[in-house]
Amino acid sequence: MWADVVVGPAEFKEHPLRHATKVAAVVAAAALGLAACGSSTPETPAGTAAAGSTSAAAGKKLVVGIAYGVGGRGDQSFNASAAAGLDKAKADLGIEYKEATQVNGESEAATEERLQQFVDAGATHVIGVGFAYAKAIGAVAKANPDVKFAIIDDASADSAGPNVAQLTFAEEQGSFLVGAAAALKSKTNQVGFVGGVATDLIKKFEAGYIAGAKAANPSITVKSQYLSQPPDFSGFNDPAKGKTAAEGLYQGGADVVYHAAGGSGSGVFTAAKAAGALAIGVDSDQALTATPDVRDVILTSMIKKVDVAVYGFLKAGSEGKDITGNKVFDLKAGGVDYATTGGKVDDIKTKLDEYKAKIISGEITVPTAP
Amino acid sequence: MSTFNARKALLGLAAPLLALLVAFLVTSAILLALGDPVVEVWQTILSWPRPRQFVQIINGATVYYLSAIAVAVGFRMNLFNIGVDGQYRVAAFAGALFAGQAWFPGPLNVLLTLVVAMATGGMWAGIAAYLKVKRGVSEVISTIMLNAIATGVVQWLLLKVAVKQQGSNTISTPPIPESSQLDGLAIVPGASNKVYTLLLLAIVVGVAYWFFIGKTRFGFDLRATGRSETAAVASGVKVPRMVVSTLVISGALAGLIGMPLLFGQDHSYGTTFQAGLGFAGIGIALLGRNHPLGIAVAALLWSFLDVQSNALQIKAGVASEVVFIIQGVILFAVVIAYELIRRADVRLEQQRVARELAGTRSDAPSVEGAAA
Amino acid sequence: MSVPGSGSRHFSPDPAPGPGRGVVAITAAAPERAADPAASDNAVELEGITKRFPGVVANKDISFAARRGTVHAIVGENGAGKSTLMKILYGVQRPDEGTIRVDGREVHLNSPSDAIDAGIGMVFQHFQLADNFTVLENVVLGAEKLHGIGDGARREIRRISEAYGLDVDPDALVEDLGVGARQRIEILKVLYRGAKVIILDEPTAVLVPQEVDELFDNLRELKSEGLTVLFISHKLDEVLSVADTITVIRRGTTVDTVDPASVNARQLAELMVGAELPTPQTEESTVTDRVVLRTEDLVLAGVGDGRNVLDGISLTIHAGEVLGIAGVEGNGQAELVEVIMGMREPTSGLVFLGDTDISDWRTREIREAGVAYIPEDRTRHGLLLEAPLWENRILGHQTEEPNAKGFLINAAGAKADTERIVKEYDVRTPSIFVTAGSLSGGNQQKLIVGREMSHEPKVLVASHPTRGVDVGAQASIWDIIRKARRDGLAVLLISADLEELIGLSDTIQVLLRGRLTGTFDPDTVTAEDLGAAMTGAAAPAAHAGAPTSDAQTSDVQTSDVQTSDVQPSEAQPSDVQPSEAPAGDGSTAPPAVAPPTDHTGDAEESR
Repeated sequence: MWADVVVGPAEFKEHPLRHATKVAAVVAAAALGLAACGSSTPETPAGTAAAGSTSAAAGKKLVVGIAYGVGGRGDQSFNASAAAGLDKAKADLGIEYKEATQVNGESEAATEERLQQFVDAGATHVIGVGFAYAKAIGAVAKANPDVKFAIIDDASADSAGPNVAQLTFAEEQGSFLVGAAAALKSKTNQVGFVGGVATDLIKKFEAGYIAGAKAANPSITVKSQYLSQPPDFSGFNDPAKGKTAAEGLYQGGADVVYHAAGGSGSGVFTAAKAAGALAIGVDSDQALTATPDVRDVILTSMIKKVDVAVYGFLKAGSEGKDITGNKVFDLKAGGVDYATTGGKVDDIKTKLDEYKAKIISGEITVPTAP
Repeated sequence: MSTFNARKALLGLAAPLLALLVAFLVTSAILLALGDPVVEVWQTILSWPRPRQFVQIINGATVYYLSAIAVAVGFRMNLFNIGVDGQYRVAAFAGALFAGQAWFPGPLNVLLTLVVAMATGGMWAGIAAYLKVKRGVSEVISTIMLNAIATGVVQWLLLKVAVKQQGSNTISTPPIPESSQLDGLAIVPGASNKVYTLLLLAIVVGVAYWFFIGKTRFGFDLRATGRSETAAVASGVKVPRMVVSTLVISGALAGLIGMPLLFGQDHSYGTTFQAGLGFAGIGIALLGRNHPLGIAVAALLWSFLDVQSNALQIKAGVASEVVFIIQGVILFAVVIAYELIRRADVRLEQQRVARELAGTRSDAPSVEGAAA
Repeated sequence: MSVPGSGSRHFSPDPAPGPGRGVVAITAAAPERAADPAASDNAVELEGITKRFPGVVANKDISFAARRGTVHAIVGENGAGKSTLMKILYGVQRPDEGTIRVDGREVHLNSPSDAIDAGIGMVFQHFQLADNFTVLENVVLGAEKLHGIGDGARREIRRISEAYGLDVDPDALVEDLGVGARQRIEILKVLYRGAKVIILDEPTAVLVPQEVDELFDNLRELKSEGLTVLFISHKLDEVLSVADTITVIRRGTTVDTVDPASVNARQLAELMVGAELPTPQTEESTVTDRVVLRTEDLVLAGVGDGRNVLDGISLTIHAGEVLGIAGVEGNGQAELVEVIMGMREPTSGLVFLGDTDISDWRTREIREAGVAYIPEDRTRHGLLLEAPLWENRILGHQTEEPNAKGFLINAAGAKADTERIVKEYDVRTPSIFVTAGSLSGGNQQKLIVGREMSHEPKVLVASHPTRGVDVGAQASIWDIIRKARRDGLAVLLISADLEELIGLSDTIQVLLRGRLTGTFDPDTVTAEDLGAAMTGAAAPAAHAGAPTSDAQTSDVQTSDVQTSDVQPSEAQPSDVQPSEAPAGDGSTAPPAVAPPTDHTGDAEESR
């Protein structure tokens, strides 16, 4: 900007390194900021207020530490469901609890430390919500044999141990039922599936869904779409992607779409509303939890009762009969189900309950991989 | 001379201490405004760590240290390797994949994996170096882009090579053989866990950094280029070659970041491998003023805050993300403080030079005018 | 071959080159006088402006006054302090001392917006325009509040454009416009913001001759409308053609304010380079017949379609010889040095060190081979300002004893040798551990010179070695150059200080527009001769009667400096210097010893 610089003065121009330093500071701080945003801060947990006054009717008093996955208690879905089970246990069993939430991108050591701190704080039962805790549960359980642990959604050797309950769900069974419902309701003879992330877990949903649809209508077409591939887990939290995928399915002729895509599901509902078609929710009874303006497109939901699993684990613990090993929450155990809110499946309820009974009795075996 | 250095040291310490104080005040104000329990938060963060947590602090700092040194190499030459984040992820993946093949026995496998990781990180940074030297693309832009590309490439390749474990929902590279897993050093008494064996690697890297930057001709050229590119060119430094060497070295060091995690903890590269280390390194390098010891202190501080934050949710009922605020404020404050102190330092030195010269030779004004 | 008497007496433009250096009698429009009775006439007045930077005083006691409705030129060599002065006027820098008055009122300019509020606008040399915006968008950017961003602004732009003949279409896209038009947009931008005083920083640097003419027409239009133009330049012919008053700045201070009608380019050049310094004296010739440094037909192509920056430079320097290069700054001196030092690749041509072709060598190899280098701008090319002295001693000799041991830096050796340099070369510093930036300019330069002379050089390339240093340092640097010559070095000396060149050189060559245009013997040449050769106005006109609008004001045509049409010397005013030199008639000065080459030759012949 200045043609000739007078000899000498060192401060005329900002030294590039200092400029550089400032840029770096901004970048670094922005990165911190992004990290903070990415791991949506949970509402301050009410956990410490537990101090269970009314000691439970029978059994020993549990001190519970619950470690949520990223998103925490306020995610209106998976973690919220676990929290619901915890709240019920508090009300019914008079447990005391402390909660914490995973920080996005943290090291394995930090994950373990969280669980260990529950133990330090006197927890008798520690729950890791989500498969990201698998390795940590395995390690911490080994170091603290007197404490009981539970992990949701993992049955691998990583987390296994004599004092670990691996709580998993027969998602394929619940998905079978909503698959049947979709096929029975479809007028175009075509239904769709939106999976959040192409993991084995989500493929279980898909497999059950396809099997159910084919069982109800052998000639039906089922089209599937996944939003992201692991290790990219954005597909669980990207409504825009969910909307685009569902729009594609609806335009391709499907009139019912089932999503197993966590937070991306809201995009699927929006697309259903725009297409004047139907959608099926997942995990919770989404006709109750989704935003009100899209609730009327929700045919039913595949309910995955994480709350039942959490409550069951704690109840057994309070009775001194701690669960260990892999416990599958299936239709029989009431771990999965379909939802009837909204009355859209009232007319086919008998049919669905028939399938349900057949699955429970073992007459129908639902595949776990598509 | 001694008073002179004492003044420098004092000024050097003033900035970070000032920054910590500012961070303390700002964070307290934010907590107060949000109605969070300020006292409990600080009690939790400033509580004396347990032996186990000491180990975690050292382990976390080890990884941060490597990251910050990788960044600092570039900083010393006024190059911004924002891509350390992508470089370490690509390198950790490549290293984990290589180590998982168990082509070589135990320790040799570890050593060769380090080489593979350095080569991968260096090559990844080399792309940015090529673009800068041959095409004039700012390394800031290209490395940020390469971070995103690294994410995609690693995801795609991970899917190709991942081993599935029965009943698990995570995916990862094949685990490295037990003979190559590094159990750790039991150097903290009373701790159930162990310090990463590769803490030794971090120490070696720190000493090497100090030596090469401070003692060698290459290091002198690198620093000269960082201080004044024009003067470096006139002194015979081939700047494009320096750009390439420096970025590749920075990338190679970035390749080492994931190694303590790989050999001491995760034993594979998968979905739960620690993320964001490269960005943390930028802040730590700034805080540590690119000095090997300063960075060590900064890395320990960062790691200390990380570990202590874990208890915040449990003990104080406040989200651990509070620590991000503290770290961010420290960073901003420290950069501002360094600049203020630097200016004060320049002024003080000029005054001192003028004063000392005036004292010895009253007839020679130390600052003569262009037209005096 | 000592210079008989003192060269300064031959051409001293200073009427009173007394002991008080920098104190110069003002021949025309002395600021004190201008400031007092006719205060209301002055758009801008500066008085006693002083600005110090670490290690140097950039401006010292600058005083001048620009009358309203005039073009007031500020001329001076690069580094004379023009830029600092303009930054002060535009509020970018604050003066340490002195006052600025605008329309007779004292103002304090703490930021560019203060300057704009005071009616001072700045047109930068490098345009600040967004290419993908229209003229309108560029003009209103940052000034949206004045006339909005729509039709109101468009009308205002048209009005200004017509009022001052700027011929600017508000809806044209800037990227479609040429350089001249872009400059007019810049001018329009400051007018749009209400500027009454417009500062133009080296406005012609980017223009071709026709555009220069157009610009000058615009400037005349502006002043006829009552605006004041401050025109910064070191191109004397242009200044003489367009300015109503000229203030000369040298070494950070105003040395004179003159009326262009009463000076010619040579006299201005003399004012710019000054003559008040102690005369450097050459000693007995030590020139040998051994060639040490030689260049052969060096060519460095210009950027784009521009002319060659260096055009067929062939020079030879023998052991014990100082070859001085004279020239107005920007005629290729810096590039010549950079090519010789290996910092630039010549487009064609060769450089020999002794018998060795070093054209392809890199800077480091060249320096290792014994070429010492004192760069033109020590803060940019010679020193690491934030590094201690002992590290600066290593700079440029990273691979050599005592700085290096193998691939390691030998800090102890470098420190010890820095102590030696500090002592031997009288670098005044409290210790070798202070940063180079905290030293004064003269001491910085002594450190550089000491460093460069410490590696048994065969060649010394010294670019403006005494620029911006105090008298004491200047004298000792001259001594060092003389000693280098005695010791059999080949010295290439580039300087804007003619006296320095005359006093130190064995041969002087003039560099004009990238070509060596004349060879002179310093024993016989005068500053007038050199000044003339430097401006391309070597002698009486070859094209007598070449028309200029004002034959009184200029001896160099404005339109095309390349062909250097010159005015008949008879037309040159002679009343500027009341010196003992033959009254101002350049043509009677002692003739150059060696016949000037190239086009100046034509002029010689016509003499």
